[in-house]
Amino acid sequence: MAQTPFDIELDDITLAQARRGQLAACERIFRAFQQPAYSVAFRICQCRETAEEVTQEAFITAFRKMRQFRGDAPFWGWLRRVVVNHAISTIRRSHKANEVEFQDFLASSAGEQDRVGLAMDLESALAALDVHDRAVVWLHDVEGYGHQEIADLFGKTESFSKTRLSRARARLRDLLEGPTAGADSGHGGDSGVLWRSGAGLTP
Amino acid sequence: MQKQQDPLNLQSLPLVSPPSDLWPGVEAELLRTGRRRAAARYAGGALALAAALVLALGLVLRAPPGGPAVQPEQLASSAQETPPAVPPKDVQSLSEANLEAVIALSQQLEGRLRRIRAEAGALPARAVVYQVELEDLVVQVDEELSRSPESLPLWTQRVDLLVDLERLYESGLRREYRQMASL
Repeated sequence: MAQTPFDIELDDITLAQARRGQLAACERIFRAFQQPAYSVAFRICQCRETAEEVTQEAFITAFRKMRQFRGDAPFWGWLRRVVVNHAISTIRRSHKANEVEFQDFLASSAGEQDRVGLAMDLESALAALDVHDRAVVWLHDVEGYGHQEIADLFGKTESFSKTRLSRARARLRDLLEGPTAGADSGHGGDSGVLWRSGAGLTP
Repeated sequence: MQKQQDPLNLQSLPLVSPPSDLWPGVEAELLRTGRRRAAARYAGGALALAAALVLALGLVLRAPPGGPAVQPEQLASSAQETPPAVPPKDVQSLSEANLEAVIALSQQLEGRLRRIRAEAGALPARAVVYQVELEDLVVQVDEELSRSPESLPLWTQRVDLLVDLERLYESGLRREYRQMASL
């Protein structure tokens, strides 16, 4: 099972307080999970604004439905499911294209350049995937979802998830290894900023 | 194993941070919901009171003199018609684990409350009314728990009440400190 950034321990008292609607407790939970939640929403939607909306809506839903959290599994798993559900619903609903900005991945020092350079390639390749392929490969490879879980999220069969995963990995390999991968995925040149049209919520 | 799970090493990608703090938007929506719920509860309470009054009036007017409006046998037989649901075994063990967790949480909260009381002393007069009310409710729940000590809803209710008590202490004391600071 992959180690997900969501795997954060929360104390029972904070959870009980949030169940009783205490805003301070809700804020503590929000602060702890904001980044992993936003991250997974962004990886699935590939659009900053949409990821913001998904994150906010997901937390609002989670806090309103806190009483439905039974406590028989870790809280982070329940919260992640809420966030992922919102993100998947959004990409299933949406057909508009969006611009993606990569300036966050600029290297801050020369030493970091190589590592971040690799991340840039992966970022670009990931952004170039079909929106459903990207969601499937992310949920499976990073978040550790099984094929059946992914199929349930999309309301499809398990073979949908397997096909999408295999296609996404093959496409990523092509983009990462191919000699024209950089040009193919639309690198933005020296500025380190990539603007891609159509990489976001396209069907 | 790692290779199969993540052959392209997507996990090496950095976490992405939102460009701005998203909490204010969430907080505003939660506050709006809270106000709507409070208004609905108030309206619901008023409606329930009115309905109870109408019902009571109806029963008084319709009841034959000297006889009960509803026969106890009728109530007993209707209750017997639906057999009690027996939860499946795995659900039972799940709720046992839940029960233990809720009991542990209740004990933790008791400990916290004891510490707060010891450190902070008495509550300001205005908060004491609510404190007494909440503590009465805890006593009532404890009485019910003495009859059915393994009732998950009762333990959950107890935890909720203790959280409310803790909140009362915190907000009451904060107000008191503010007043003292302004002197």
